Amino acid sequence: MLFLQVLVNGILGGGVYACAAIGFSIIWGVMNLINLAHGSMIILGAYITYFFFTATGLDPFLAVPISGTVLFIFGYLIQKYLINHVIEGSVFMTLILTFGLDLVMVNAHILLFTADIRSINPWYAGLGLTFGTLKIPYTRLGVFFFALLLTAGLHLFLNRTRLGNAVKATSFDRDAAGLVGINVSKVYAVTFGIGAAMAGMAGSLVSVIYSFSPVVGTAFTMKAFVVVLLGGLGSIPGAIIGGLTIGIVENFASVFLEAGYRDAVSFILLLLILIFRPRGILGKKFYAEVAG
Amino acid sequence: MENKNTGTLLGYFSRILIVIALLSFTVGFVPSVYAQDVIRFGASLSLTGKMATEGRLVKDGYDFYMKHINALGGIPIKGKKYKVEIIYYDDESDPKTAAKLVEKLIVEDNIQYLLGPYSSSCTFPASSVAEKYQIPMVEAHGAATTIFERGYKYLFATLNTVDQYTSGILDMATDLSPKPQTIALINENALFPQLGMDGAASQAEERDITVVYKEKYPSGTKDLSSMLAAVREKNPDILLAAGYTADMILLVKQAREMGLKPKMFGLLLGPTLPGFVEALQKDAEYLLEPIQWSSNMPWKDEVFGYTASEFAALFEKEYGYKPDYHPPQSAAALLVYHHALQKVGVADPKTVRNAIAETDIMTFYGRIKFNEKGMNIGKTMAVIQLQNGKPVVVYPYKGAEGKLVYPIPYSN
Repeated sequence: MLFLQVLVNGILGGGVYACAAIGFSIIWGVMNLINLAHGSMIILGAYITYFFFTATGLDPFLAVPISGTVLFIFGYLIQKYLINHVIEGSVFMTLILTFGLDLVMVNAHILLFTADIRSINPWYAGLGLTFGTLKIPYTRLGVFFFALLLTAGLHLFLNRTRLGNAVKATSFDRDAAGLVGINVSKVYAVTFGIGAAMAGMAGSLVSVIYSFSPVVGTAFTMKAFVVVLLGGLGSIPGAIIGGLTIGIVENFASVFLEAGYRDAVSFILLLLILIFRPRGILGKKFYAEVAG
Repeated sequence: MENKNTGTLLGYFSRILIVIALLSFTVGFVPSVYAQDVIRFGASLSLTGKMATEGRLVKDGYDFYMKHINALGGIPIKGKKYKVEIIYYDDESDPKTAAKLVEKLIVEDNIQYLLGPYSSSCTFPASSVAEKYQIPMVEAHGAATTIFERGYKYLFATLNTVDQYTSGILDMATDLSPKPQTIALINENALFPQLGMDGAASQAEERDITVVYKEKYPSGTKDLSSMLAAVREKNPDILLAAGYTADMILLVKQAREMGLKPKMFGLLLGPTLPGFVEALQKDAEYLLEPIQWSSNMPWKDEVFGYTASEFAALFEKEYGYKPDYHPPQSAAALLVYHHALQKVGVADPKTVRNAIAETDIMTFYGRIKFNEKGMNIGKTMAVIQLQNGKPVVVYPYKGAEGKLVYPIPYSN
């Protein structure tokens, strides 16, 4: 029974990892930009949710569209007025810029929300489905399905809409996309906006199941990094597979090996993938590779 | 022309310097004329930097003793009263600076009796300097057990070290009937939480409580649910956990989600920190946390005659804030010296050190008695339980504000 519980925990946890990593993956895959402020964007989404929850009692799940919208605008503007100026330059410029953005966000969060550790406890926290000794908490279940829903929505957007196709085209070859009349800098701004919106919505979900404070964003960025490398850059199904793999492996390692080894095991897995399948489980060639 | 000018100027300055040197010699000489009647202590404290807030709480604690003993005319030693003076330096929250300043106190200021700095990280190097010069240091804020594992002879601490944190909780458990039989321990893989839970494991064994689960998780872990599922399989009566606040909030949340129902649930730290109860609300109910001191402890001091609550009231009146454990813990360090000096007189550091080693006194901070490592084994940690979102002291029983709720009532 413990085996089943650990498997369920792994899947539910993995869904959250996937959701937290997708925005990071899209931005990296399309723009060849590693957004070091990704974690802080998740935290911003969490604080927006926290703000509405404490001020009006709004259910954290209902705050998902709000954080998504706020973060989309935030990301769009950041890209348009900040990152677009250096995106053509070396990758280090964008690293430095997003690192700086992360510092600004962390400190703005501390000023606005204090460094106290927060968590959202809706009335159904701690309740869940019970099958014998198997427990499935409602919050984690809800977060898991929301994560899948958002991911599916993004997948549809990229494959079924004109703008989505433009994003994809740009990710394959920026210059060719420009030649066929796609406004590349606008596509970049939209992509960054979408990436930020995904981070913000993930933040709303994360706020229900984890505790957070302004400084824990880095941990999410790191996790997203591992998930994306494992699953494959810029691939939505890849992020899901990567997230679930990490979630399941971590949970099993922490129970059936030793809890202290959980990170070691997932990093060994990452190392193996990088050696034998450097593009990740579902990775394809992307702009960065074509150009480089 | 210019050269000559510089020469005159230099000469002028050197004359001024000589005068200043002479003056300072005289000024420096003055206190030692009266030194017979003054006992000087020295401390390096974090008065600026990241630990400035706590550093000031410590200073206020030291000052409280100084002010009150001087108001009584000083420490009465063998028929004579000695005023107390404390020399402070600011180490800017930097351990290396703390060590340097302690050396300065010993070498330049000729301090024979040292007080401790704030934090384990500053106490660690500062106590090494004191040991080198064989000058006693009674510290109040270095809780890491490792500080006392170096075989030092001149270092003593008024607080309970981290390995003793859970003893109060387990004492309470032993007094219950039926007595809890099993305990599970979880900690973050970091020094402080690890020492705390290692301590809990050995205390549990001493009290015949079986440790059914003991695991550590890596720092930065975002998900403890499967560990907690494994704990649930063991169905422990007591669950104790140690880690930083964010992890502890996560742990309590996920313990509820995994349907864990320990009869007793304690955390090494967290429940009394800001934001904790707010974050967990009803899920924070009945959690236990060990604390060093509380103002309604039943202890009464032998020097001033203050009880813990009288100390708290006086302190609040004079310093404008309610004291937590920092000020009384600091003042207690001076009370240790007070008794030792009364016993052997204003003697050399070694004699005073030997007197300190034999300390067994009662203070408003609690009983103080040192083991051979210099750790205070005279008092145990008090314990609070969160009841209706407020910390309520439940142990020791004599100073308790409320009764321990046991077993924790769970509403399905």
